[in-house]
This record gives sequence, structure tokens and C-alpha cells, in this order.
Amino acid sequence: MRRISLVLLSALLPLVARAADSATVEAQRAQVEALRKEVAGQLQLQAYDLLDELVYGWTQAPVFPVETPVVLADVTVPWGFGSGLQALLENHITGLLIKNPRSHMRLAHCPACTSMVVRSGAKGTVVSRGVDEPEALSAASAQSGSHHALFLDFEVEGSALVLRARVTSLEPSLPIVFAKTLSSSTSTAALLRSDEHLKSAAEARQEYLDALQGRGPLLVPMRLGIRSYASRPGDAPVMSAPFVWLQLGAELSLTQTRAWTASLSGGVSWAPQLHTAFLGQARISRLLTGSVTSLTHPDLYGFVGLSVISVHGQSALAFQEKVPTLENLKLQLTGNEPTATFSALQVGLELRIKNRLGAGIFLENLPSLGSAQAIGRYVNLGIIQFQSLGAEVSVCF
Amino acid sequence: MEFLYILLLSPLPIFISHVPDPAPGLSSTREEVRSLDCEVLSQPQAHELYPAEVAEARARRIAGPSDSVLVCNRRILAPSERPARDEAILSSLRQTMAEMVQAASALTPGEPVWHVDAFYPEPAVGVKIAVAARTELAERGHKVSDRVPVLAAGDLAVLSGLPGSKAYPLACARSFAEHVLSDKEALLGLMILDGRETQLHAGVCRAGAWRWLR
Repeated sequence: MRRISLVLLSALLPLVARAADSATVEAQRAQVEALRKEVAGQLQLQAYDLLDELVYGWTQAPVFPVETPVVLADVTVPWGFGSGLQALLENHITGLLIKNPRSHMRLAHCPACTSMVVRSGAKGTVVSRGVDEPEALSAASAQSGSHHALFLDFEVEGSALVLRARVTSLEPSLPIVFAKTLSSSTSTAALLRSDEHLKSAAEARQEYLDALQGRGPLLVPMRLGIRSYASRPGDAPVMSAPFVWLQLGAELSLTQTRAWTASLSGGVSWAPQLHTAFLGQARISRLLTGSVTSLTHPDLYGFVGLSVISVHGQSALAFQEKVPTLENLKLQLTGNEPTATFSALQVGLELRIKNRLGAGIFLENLPSLGSAQAIGRYVNLGIIQFQSLGAEVSVCF
Repeated sequence: MEFLYILLLSPLPIFISHVPDPAPGLSSTREEVRSLDCEVLSQPQAHELYPAEVAEARARRIAGPSDSVLVCNRRILAPSERPARDEAILSSLRQTMAEMVQAASALTPGEPVWHVDAFYPEPAVGVKIAVAARTELAERGHKVSDRVPVLAAGDLAVLSGLPGSKAYPLACARSFAEHVLSDKEALLGLMILDGRETQLHAGVCRAGAWRWLR
């Protein structure tokens, strides 16, 4: 019985293995296809950019002095890619040439130019594409009035996409009258342009820089925030109410991509019968989500700051080291309102959207209020304690 | 306890000022690193091309020696996506063509009309090679024709039985003898001689004489 089982097992094993193999191959094919689609998506934008740059060049320095009919003879995509990408690129160059008559190129319809033609002569019979045998085209009167053919060849070379464009005169010797190589590695960063308003590489680069820098290196942020102070556990003599702050300042970008920023601001807080408070703050922020501010996604900044806060009014009693006494209240009744001035070290996170809107949270360490009777701790890290917790929203002008 | 906090927080500045390292490590595998295409650029060049990533060089630095920047970009196609030989030829096509066209034009006197033909096992790649050479020649101001000189079927039958080192010189002589190429024309031939090699060879045919460039 055991022997029979072994024989059966040995007979079934190759079948199971083959099924597993075919499943693996199918999975690999699906994976490669998915990868190919992803790459084609990125490639398409780069190829569009190169075509934009090519046609922009023609609008500045046309190949022909007057409008000339040209046959789009061939668009070849990188080796390994299919006709889908080819169709997209054909459509894009057609759209560009229609919308940019200053290029002096008008696309002509010539089905015979790209089909296979047969020509027999004294030397033999030649089978080739129409554009490769202009004699055959002219004999058949099939040139559709066009005497030039445009060839576009795209190829992937390492990390760059290279476009080789040439225009050939459709005469027997097939002379090349224009040739140009453009590469995405030497071109400007990918930037989709409008077909009607093509830009030079320099202009496109400047637009890219402007988009990166937002509206210049200097911003005016206005922040509306709230700070609350922890109370001591147990019987605190007084408790501090949350402070609502309105801050206005200036923020300077320390790098061209806003990876580091520094800001100075002043703020005011007022609560009827309770306090009038002033604040001066310096802050340095570092972009945490990458090294470049994103044009499409929110950016997360981490920041550290130093504040000096001066509180005038009843709320100031909470920041004093001693328990409020009758003497304090007496002073208040006689018109001498209590004041407290202290510094705060701040750490926090801020989420920014295109450097226009922001929302942040922060913790503050109040080094001079370590022994204040009314102030407790929200977070205790041993070497540093955070007595204050806050949140803010900001609008940048 | 404090020591533990210090220990945990101490790598924070490293992560904040993190620049991706193009070496295999914790953040990237060997396969990912192999798919990088790296080159060394001067800082002004790197800033021109990648303004978002590379800071502008200081004026004092521009005047003197500038810092170099290692720029790594991910290859558009992973190394395993195309056959290895095709990938090796195509990924360095611009540089190879620039070298070959420079050599060909320097060694060919006069100003002939250039024809280009590529002999490569994969026809689609062969077309890419020929197009790259034609474009490079035309961009350098040479007269270039898109026409490919073709020998008679009998010649091709004989040539196909010869080794490459003899076939190309003979094909050149036959082209001139049969007036496929005139003395005012030159042919730049690009080929691989051994199916296992990943480097292109080149030769020029002028007035019936074949000359190997590489």
C-alpha cells in the first residue's frame, strides 16, 4: 500500500508542479504588463514634452520658409512598447502642428506613403514603404501634394528618453533636410504646456521654479491659535483658561524649495475681564515629507520655536510661582493688575497646502515656570516637560 | 530613562537631513540600486538641471573649483525588461553614435553624401541604430541620405556565406562596382560581428574601399 502511494505521489507531483509553474508564469506576465503600463504613463508625459520642445523650435526657426505639406511617415516608440503609445504620440504631434501654424508644417494625408509599394524596373523589383521609394509614389501620383516626410523616433537610453526627428525630401536620393535630437536628460523638468502656447525650455524652467517657490521667498503668515496650559493634579489654587492668539509675521524660505523656513511673528490675545497678552515668536521649520515642497500634495513640516509671552490681567496669576494670596487680590482691587512674563520652547508639526493654508499642533516647554503652583505637565519626557499644548490654523499671504 | 530618550531621539537630525544614498542598504535593495543611472555633474550644472534638488552654487564657488554632485536617476526600464544585448546597445546609443560619427567624418576626406546601414540580429533595434547615426551625421552638418544602398540578390547570397571580416569589404567593393554607391557617396556601416558581443563595430565604405573604424 505504501509503495502504491509513493508511485501515485511521484506520478502526480510533476502535474502539480506544472500547474504551479503556469500560474507563476501568468502572474509574472501580469506583473510585467502592469509595470509596462506604469512606465508608459510616465513615458508619455516625457515624450509629449519633447514633442512640445521640437514644435516650439520650429515656430522659432521654421524648417521651411512657407507653409509646406509634410507626411507623418513614421513614429517609432521605444523598443519593447506597443502601438498604443505610438497612437498617442501621433495624435499629440498632429494637434501641435495644427495649433501652431508658425511651424510652417502642414500635415498631409498620404496613405500610400506609409503602405508597402512594389516597383519593378530594369534592375529588379523592389518592395518597400512608399516614403522609401518616392519614384513609386510619383509614378502612382500618390504623394498627395507632399514632398517631405517627417520621421520621429523615440528611444529609452538609461534614465533618459531621446527623440530623434528628421525631415526627408521625397526625391529619389532621399536627402535629409532637417535632423534634431532632443533628450529628456538635457531638457527642462517635465511640465505640461498648453498646445497653443508653447514655451521655450528657459521659460518652462522659470515656470517650474516659480511653481516650486510658490509666490516668492517671503510670505506673511496669519495664525489663529489656541494654547492651553496643564493644571497641577490635585487641588490647584487657580487654573489657567485657554488662550486664543492671533499672530501675524513674516516667513522667509531659507532654501529655494522651502525645505527650510524661518519665521518671526508677533501675537495678541485678549479675553474680557481676564487678560491682555502679547507674544513674540521665532520659529524654524523643516520639511519632513521629502526635500522639495510638493505641487500636488500637502507638505508636513516639523518646527522648533522660541516664544516670549507677556500676560497682563487675572490670568497672569496662574503663571506665578506662589499661590495667589489675599495680598494679590488686594493689589488687583487697587488697580495694580498682575503680570507674568515667561519664555516658551516650542516643538510641533504643521501641515501646509501649497504654502497657502496650514494647520498645526505643538507642545511648549516653559522653562521659567517649572515651579509654578498652578501649572502642571501634559508630557513628561524626563529631561524635558511640556506644560502647554496648542493648535493653530494659518493663512499665508 | 533620560538616557533612553536621548538614545531614541539622537538619530532624528540624520533622518531630517536625509539624502537618499545610491548604495544598497536599509532603504534600498540591490535590485533597486542596479536600476539607477548615475553621473557626476558640477554643482552649477546640477542646479540647472535639477533646481529643486540641488542648491545654487555660491558666487565665490562658481569662480573657483565647484563641488561635484552625484546625480542618480532611475532607469526608465528595469535592466531585465529588454534583452541584455539590446539594452546594452540602446542605453549608450547617443554616446556610441557621437564617437562613431566623429571618427567616420574625420577619416573620410571631402564632403560625400552619407548613407547609413545597420546590421543587427533584431531588425527593430537595427533601425534604431541606423536612425541614430543618420540623425547624428545630419546634425553635424553632413549631407545625409535616407536611402539604403541595396546589392543584388546574387551578391547577398554569396555575402551571407562569408564571415563578417570578409563580407563587409567585399560588399563595399561590389557596391562601387555595381554603381550602387558612387565616388561622391560614402556608406557608414554599423554592426555586431559576434552574436555574443554588446559593442557595435563600424566601418566606412568610400570609393570601393572598406575601412574599419572600430
